[in-house]
Amino acid sequence: MRIMDLQKSLTAVLLMLACLILAPVVHAAKVLPKRMTVDQVAHLFSSKSSIATVTMRVVNEDGQRDMSMRIWSLGDKVLIRITSPEDEAGVAILKAGSDIRYYLPKSKRTVKIPASMAMTSWMGSDFTIDDLVKETFLTRDYSITTSFEGTRGGVAVYEYTLTPKPDAAVVWGKIVLQIRQADSVPTWQGFYDENGALVRGLTFSEYKTVGGRNIPTRLVMQPADKTGARTTIDYTDIAFDVPISAATFSLPNEK
Amino acid sequence: MTSAPLLIKVSWRNLWRNPRGTLLTALALGLGLSLLLISLGLLDGGHEQTIADGVRFGPGHVVIQAKGYQETNSDELLLSARVVSSSEAFLQSDTIKQLVRGVSPRLLATGLLSSAANASGVRIMGVIPQDERAVSLIPQRMIAGSYLSNDTPPSNGRPSAAVIGIDLARKLEVKVGSKVVLMTQALRQPGADTRNSSGDEMESTLLRVTGIFRTGLQAVDANIVQVPLPAAQSLLGVTGGQVTQVALLLAEESDSPLVAKALRRQLTDASVEVLTWRQSIPMLAQILGLDHAFNYIMNGVILAMVGLGILNTILMRVLERHYEFGVCKALGLRPGQLAVMVIGESLALTAISLSLGLVFGLSIEHYFATSGLDLRLLFRRGLPPALVFDPILYSRLSPNRIVWSVSIVFVMATIISFYPALKAARIDLPDALKVL
Amino acid sequence: MFGPLIQFAWRNLWRNRRRTFITMTAIAFGYVMLLFVACLMAGLRWQMIENGTALVMSQIQVQAPAYYPNRSIQKTLGGWQGTDVNATLAAVTADRRVYAAAPRVYGYGLLSAAHRSAGVELMGIVPRQEAKITILNNDIVKGDYLTPRMPKGVVLGDTLASTIGMQLGSEIVLLTQAADGSMGNDVYTVVGIFHTGLDAVDRGLVLMSLPALQELLHLAPARIHEIGIKLNDITAATAVAAALQTRLYKSVPVRARAWPELAPELASYVQFNHAITFVLFFIFFLIAVIGVMNTMLMAVFERTRELGMLMALGMRPAQVIVLIMAEAAGLALASLLVGGAIGVPILWYLQVHGLDLGGATGEMVSLAGVLVGHLWYGRQDLPAYGEAAVGLGITALVSALYPAWRAAHVTPTEAIRKV
Repeated sequence: MRIMDLQKSLTAVLLMLACLILAPVVHAAKVLPKRMTVDQVAHLFSSKSSIATVTMRVVNEDGQRDMSMRIWSLGDKVLIRITSPEDEAGVAILKAGSDIRYYLPKSKRTVKIPASMAMTSWMGSDFTIDDLVKETFLTRDYSITTSFEGTRGGVAVYEYTLTPKPDAAVVWGKIVLQIRQADSVPTWQGFYDENGALVRGLTFSEYKTVGGRNIPTRLVMQPADKTGARTTIDYTDIAFDVPISAATFSLPNEK
Repeated sequence: MTSAPLLIKVSWRNLWRNPRGTLLTALALGLGLSLLLISLGLLDGGHEQTIADGVRFGPGHVVIQAKGYQETNSDELLLSARVVSSSEAFLQSDTIKQLVRGVSPRLLATGLLSSAANASGVRIMGVIPQDERAVSLIPQRMIAGSYLSNDTPPSNGRPSAAVIGIDLARKLEVKVGSKVVLMTQALRQPGADTRNSSGDEMESTLLRVTGIFRTGLQAVDANIVQVPLPAAQSLLGVTGGQVTQVALLLAEESDSPLVAKALRRQLTDASVEVLTWRQSIPMLAQILGLDHAFNYIMNGVILAMVGLGILNTILMRVLERHYEFGVCKALGLRPGQLAVMVIGESLALTAISLSLGLVFGLSIEHYFATSGLDLRLLFRRGLPPALVFDPILYSRLSPNRIVWSVSIVFVMATIISFYPALKAARIDLPDALKVL
Repeated sequence: MFGPLIQFAWRNLWRNRRRTFITMTAIAFGYVMLLFVACLMAGLRWQMIENGTALVMSQIQVQAPAYYPNRSIQKTLGGWQGTDVNATLAAVTADRRVYAAAPRVYGYGLLSAAHRSAGVELMGIVPRQEAKITILNNDIVKGDYLTPRMPKGVVLGDTLASTIGMQLGSEIVLLTQAADGSMGNDVYTVVGIFHTGLDAVDRGLVLMSLPALQELLHLAPARIHEIGIKLNDITAATAVAAALQTRLYKSVPVRARAWPELAPELASYVQFNHAITFVLFFIFFLIAVIGVMNTMLMAVFERTRELGMLMALGMRPAQVIVLIMAEAAGLALASLLVGGAIGVPILWYLQVHGLDLGGATGEMVSLAGVLVGHLWYGRQDLPAYGEAAVGLGITALVSALYPAWRAAHVTPTEAIRKV
């Protein structure tokens, strides 16, 4: 699941729009084409442009930390500006393609992040920059089967198991996606290694309707091997397809 | 008037008048020479091996690279396929062929290897498996799975094979058969069309771990991933069969400068550098300098001890035959002739000793040269978990060394026998004839 | 019965000075050679270990048990509360085998200058204390080592400087993930550039003041990652590490690691070398033994006549053997003492002045006397000296035994007949 939107092509947008239009129509239908559902999930946060306010809470054995940030996206460019806590306020991250740069207000400098550091955890959270940079082509790289259909916890869900295609460049042994039957929104995504062991789980909740879409505004990523550790991301507000000028995507001392 | 040939005959017969004594002495001296040969062989072998072990984890005895690579380590500096093939052709030629044990072209780059559990920065090595086997020690240090094989299909949709080190495998929590994803940036090559995207694209590719190695060197075990060369080239967007370096392993380390020079003459391409291991791994050269000096000193000590043995022996023989020499003198043998006789005996004795010594020494040395001396027998506390150096020490005794040792011992014996000869010549007649 | 024999034996030795002298020379010289070799070999081993540990690692490292091998910056000594650094240092140096100890903090981050950046290892040190346990300060080629005058100064390798495009006085930014997960960043000035010859160090290590790194990493002053230790005698490293761990554990949980554990490749190489030198020592010993045996054999055989006479005069075979053995023993002892006496100044010279190999080694490169010792120091290896002495002594005795026995059983008439 992506936090940042990485729009791929007009086709995907059209497909997504189609899904959104079709969604009320298939509302009552039992079986939605799997690929479309998964694709829809994958592009839940995709749009030509968006602006969002996000708070992130990281809990681990050393304690708890909260961070707030504002995120702009346009095409494949993303700008993140941290608004709190105070000692990080003003830090800006600009991502254009696979080029990532940080602006550090304390040092008043811009720093380029080399790709080799891309796998360090993002801000100490359980998400990695890889989660941000790499596009996840769920439908391209995985074949989908329905592994469960029924009620869990009082909610009617479909569970899809995504198995990577033989030559797909993905590390997972499988991904399990649990989707609400009623409105095809994801409730849970599990990432498993090749031995079938769960490595991390992503829980979706707090569904809101924004810009015509039903999206989960709370994402909780939990690694399976570190008990008590988790990262929670809340979209306190998000707007899709808003006009943003290209000039927005630059760092303070580059203006 | 006794002539030289007669003196020589007499010297020889003198030796055999006391066969047991002579043989014992010859045996003793011969043993000394054997030990000299054995230790020279082991020392030289150890030195050679240390160098080989050092260079086999890196660029080999001699390396061909793009000019400036040694200094900048920039992965974008590549060798053209033309350079590679002309070097390989040259190295196959009759003059050079027997000096070379292995030639391995490699493509080097940096990337990120990830598994479900973790990710780690790695050094990618694209290699031709059978060529790499002849140069690198990694293929011989496999502890799980197997090394890359030549019949791995280039890329028909199936994931490429990869071998990684034990430390990397542990960090990524993978085993043989696991899949890993290698992410890397295509190498920007001078002259290639500049992409118009805002940055360099990252390429990802799926790999399967087919083997895990342990070399004992942390830098290697935690960082290196080897994949077949064609796979690396396509991953990195390298066209035209280019590589980063061609590493050579030679039969004798001492040929490194020679081979390097020959290659430089052959490859007049200005954008190429040919380096010996001393230039490409200066650290190793420094460590080995100590080793080399050590060998010199040890040789000196052994020679000194053998020399003393010879002196002692000959001196004793002279002293013991006081009476006999006195008789000779009384019968008219001149002091000079007596001295010559003594020297003649010493030389004859040395010759016998040397022969015995060579036979015994060379056969033991040959055993060590072929089967090696297993140092593990000497480790009292047991081996560390990963011994970087091959625990079996092979002796390497060059014909040069043998000739050198024999000559030195012979010359030493001659010089040493002057003193006893002098003493013999100076024997006072009346004293010498006293019986007790 | 033995008293007069021993006296006789002793006088015999000095009656034929030349023979005694020759035999003594064989034993004494053999012993001196063995001493020389043992001393040099011990010196070589020591030097290799020194070269490997003196630059950055130090000989023993004391860290929190969970710190190694992941080196998570949160795993400071004493946990998140940290520890009384001075008290812990004092507890370490209280062991008399310890020469000096210094605190260290580590981090990993991005160094950015102008438009280029590189991942680097950050090491926070207290210069005055660090200089006592490692010698990187000797490798400064430009500028200075860290001083309290410039708290935000950093020292880095020449390879890193040229790769990123930095010079003395350049300003750099360090960006790292702090202990609380936030992004630690600050501006620093390059005050010194070093060259060690070790690519990994010259390309990847950045030295800075310990408090400055703690600040960057959001670590309290009481939190450090490691105490580096230098000993008076490096060969005691493993033992001292164990002792320190036991003692320190009473106040703060630690794991003390000696250099063989920290640098298994080095330990590997040292062991390899040890094995080779053992083989060599054995060979030298054999050569020495041959010399001694030969000489003793001849010495005794030569006296067959004289011994035959003694027996004709009434000495019993057993007494002859005892006589010979006593002589051999006396001779061996005297020779070893002489050898030892000659050896002492040689060993002393080796240890203090060393052997200058500049000429003999040709291609060797000298680098600030550290990575390369063309000056080769010896180290005393007392156990080896003792073993050599015992070995030679026993050899002398054993090699006298056979001829003594033979001599004792020769009939007087045979003996006298020898000419």
